[in-house]
Parts: sequence; C-alpha cells; structure tokens
Amino acid sequence: MRSTFFSALALASALFVASPVVAHHGFSVEFDDSKPVTLTGTVTKMEFMNPHIYFYLDVKDASGKVVNWAFEGSPPNILYRQGWRKDTVKPGDVVTAKGFRARDGAHLVACNTITFQDGRQLSMGNGNVKGYGKN
Amino acid sequence: MTQSSRAPRFIMAALIALPFLTACSGGTSGHTQASAPPDLNGVWSAPFTPDISKPLGHQPPFTPYAADLFKKEDEIDDPLTQCLPIGPARGIQAGLMPFQIVQTPTTLAILFENQRTFRIINTDGRIHPKDLDQTWFGDSIGHWEGDTLIVDTVGLNDRTWLDTAGHQHSDQLHLVERFQKIDNDNIKWTVTFEDPKFYTEPWSVTLPIKRQNTEIMSYSCEENEKDRVHLKRTNTKK
Repeated sequence: MRSTFFSALALASALFVASPVVAHHGFSVEFDDSKPVTLTGTVTKMEFMNPHIYFYLDVKDASGKVVNWAFEGSPPNILYRQGWRKDTVKPGDVVTAKGFRARDGAHLVACNTITFQDGRQLSMGNGNVKGYGKN
Repeated sequence: MTQSSRAPRFIMAALIALPFLTACSGGTSGHTQASAPPDLNGVWSAPFTPDISKPLGHQPPFTPYAADLFKKEDEIDDPLTQCLPIGPARGIQAGLMPFQIVQTPTTLAILFENQRTFRIINTDGRIHPKDLDQTWFGDSIGHWEGDTLIVDTVGLNDRTWLDTAGHQHSDQLHLVERFQKIDNDNIKWTVTFEDPKFYTEPWSVTLPIKRQNTEIMSYSCEENEKDRVHLKRTNTKK
C-alpha cells in the first residue's frame, strides 16, 4: 500500500514539476536560479501550512557543524491534491533536498524535489518558476 | 340565474379558453417556454497564466503612462505579495487554486480558493448602481444569451494586478466576460479589458475553463507568511 501510494505521488510529481503554481510572490524576488542547492539532512520540523509548506533540515557542513536550513514548497492544498499529507515528510526523516537559494543569503531554499533514503522522490511544486519575463 | 342556465355558459367559456391553455403549455402552435440557462455549478479552473500577454500573442496596447509603469514596476510590488485580494479576472486564472461556481436563477457566485475571496454576479436584470464604491472585485451584472453568460463589471479599485507579470489597470477598468458553456466539463472564457487610462483600446484574451474533480480547500495567506522579509527588488531598468 505504502509503495503504491508513493508511486502515485512520484507520478503526480513528475507531471507537476513542469507546471508552475501561483504563489503569493514571484520566484525572482526571493530566490536565485543561478544558485542551485542540494543538501542532505535530518528533518527537524514540518510546517504543512499556508501560504507555503516548510520543512527544516539539520545539515552538517564540511567542518561537521550542524546548520538548520529551511525549505519552502507549494501551498499545502496544492500538494494535498497530489497525495501529500501532514506526515508525508516528518521529523526524523533523512532526505536530500534540491532547489535554489534565497537571494538574501539566508539558509532558505525554494525546494524542487526531495529524495528519501530509499530512493522515493517527491516534488515540492516550485519547479523552476523564475520570474516571468516582460518581453 | 338558475344552475341549469349557468352550465352552458361555463362550457362555452371553457371551450373558448381551451386553445389558449394548450398553446401556452407548449403542446400546439407558436408559443414555447424560455429554455433554462446552462448549469455552471461546480468546481473549475483555468490554466495559470502568469503573463497575460502570452495568450494575447503580444503586449497589450499600453498608453504611454502604462508602458512607463510596466517598465518600472517589480514583482515585489505585486499586491498578492502583501496577501491582498487577487481581483475578479486574475482569480479565474489562478491555476491550481480552483474556484467554485454556485448558481441560482438570480445570482451566480464565484468562490475563489485563493484567499477565500468571492465574486457576486447579479443575474436578476438589475443595472449597475449609480454611486459605486471602488472595490477589489467591483460590481458585476450578468445576462444569458443562449449558452453564454455575459458579465459586465465596473467599480473596481486600481490596486489589483491583471497577472504576475505586472499588467495593471486603473479604477476606470471595465471588464466584459463571456462564459460560454461548451459541454459539461468545459467553459470557454473570453475576457475583454477596457481601460482608457492604461490601454489605448479594449483587448481580449480567451482561456479554457475546465471542471475539476476536487473541492474548494482552505487558504490563508497570512497563516504562516515568512517570505516578505526575504524579498528583494529585481528590476534593473531604473
């Protein structure tokens, strides 16, 4: 049952990555698509709330120091329709998160995908929704 | 008058009235009942359209004032960034945040999942009030022409954007929308923007509205808002 659920989620995520969502802000005003980030760590907190879900990872840097990073995703209702629930990502999970870093240098990432240790991958719904060109 | 003399007169009256009664029931020549308008009840969504010039195929016909404003503004100025209302047309094309139509003979309500806002379209034959306040969603009146609901909206304030790219409008904006029901799952939506302060002539875009197999959910922009402190102005054309 669980593997079938994640297969469905993964399929929905694959279809969804190409579709940017309406956010309450544009991508480029907060994130920099020239600064990709890939981090692996342990989930310390999950906020399945509006206007964006957040999860937080404790990540060890090269010196062994632990830094807590925030990862932002789509609004929860959009993810809920793709099969996400409040406990899809939960404290204690070890995941690899990919996305783009905040322009102001904060430990904040607009997250595209997360990958669990068993290889399951989920979209966080942001995709590469960089600013909409005015041309 | 005795009962016996009233009976023939009653029968005569009934016989005279009979053709009219059967005609008005639709059973005979000429007269037919008006068809009920199409049923638009349900949950719907149009494709997310962050730049409304894309379905148009070119930039809208800006006035010099609007062109200068479009060049200077930045996404950080988007009212949605401040969790303000999305506006009547932009709410339709909010993409993965659908809307629900609740339709009665006199009113059609559009309930947006985006920030749980709504439009009321009066279809009872009224005209726009003379002294209108300028509001986020304006005053909408509608009437049916066959399979199409035509909606006229005025009384809008100038604080919403038409899309994420920053096409804006003034409080003179006049919207005319055509919701044409194609079949049970499809509506063809054509919206015309008329605003002499921002655009030299009216312009229109058409988007498909599709029925969604979902329910309207909660959305509260301020519930856990953490982005505003991180936003940076991106415009480099100043």
